[in-house]
Amino acid sequence: MFNIFHNSNLFKWIEKLIYFINSIFFILLLVALSFALILSPADYLQGDSVRIMYVHVPAAWIGLASFSFIALLSLINFIFKIKYFSLITKSIAPIGLMFTCIAIITGSIWGQPTWGTFWAWDARIISMSILAFFYFLFICVHKLFSDQEIADRISSIIAIFGAINIPIIKYSVNWWNTLHQPASIKILGSSTIHSSMLLPLFLMFFVLILYCALIFLMKYKTEIIRIKKKNLKRL
Amino acid sequence: MIKDLILMNGYGVYVWSSFIITLFTCVAVYLKTLKTLKKYEKEFASEIEKLSVEKKKIVLKNSKIAPQVLSSYNKTL
Repeated sequence: MFNIFHNSNLFKWIEKLIYFINSIFFILLLVALSFALILSPADYLQGDSVRIMYVHVPAAWIGLASFSFIALLSLINFIFKIKYFSLITKSIAPIGLMFTCIAIITGSIWGQPTWGTFWAWDARIISMSILAFFYFLFICVHKLFSDQEIADRISSIIAIFGAINIPIIKYSVNWWNTLHQPASIKILGSSTIHSSMLLPLFLMFFVLILYCALIFLMKYKTEIIRIKKKNLKRL
Repeated sequence: MIKDLILMNGYGVYVWSSFIITLFTCVAVYLKTLKTLKKYEKEFASEIEKLSVEKKKIVLKNSKIAPQVLSSYNKTL
């Protein structure tokens, strides 16, 4: 069932995909940055500081989506013991941590002109910081344990346990009285954001997703080579 | 126009610092990942070189990945 994800099948596609993403990435990045920094309008209330949204929101989405994906794959791996799923989660985790940290830092910068402070003990900010902590734990386990099976088992438990935090992050702005505004973009229901701002937001999101794919493919390729190198030593 | 773009009505320092931090982090992570990948490709290629001719033939014949790693490494040389 999962043969499509097998290393030898995936490896031949990795090189082609890396080349493809590299060839279109910079053009798309320039277009997205032009929309985000020049062509999109300033907000009637927040002025030009709203442009921080174009890096903050996609970074937060990627941070959340990556951990949800890691938790899902970890759960499947925990039950069915599919080894290359742990390779995938191991390759995604640093990207997720990076974007979670970017979301926290850019959110903090956005907080100064909007709320008048870089930091507030706000439910959304704290739950995002907890997410970064779970990412950190997940990565540390893989660095600390040389036995791959033990590392996979512990990291899977961390990911499954950490997944409890995902709905808390999502609904923190509804459950508690927070400084952070409620979601403007909804999957179900109408968004309260104008299309002139939605377009650059989705463009930036698409570019950052491409970047994630590029880093993931490079990390996944590195992991496969590392395993093959270990196998060579056994000969 | 350029001055307006830089200053952004007083919000320039916040907007530009956010974008610069993001781009700088992305570039740093990309370069670090690329460096690690190249390091492992190089180590893998040198491990193959260390093998005897027979073992080398067996590895290259049986492994789908080994020839691809070697060709990728040779491209970068």
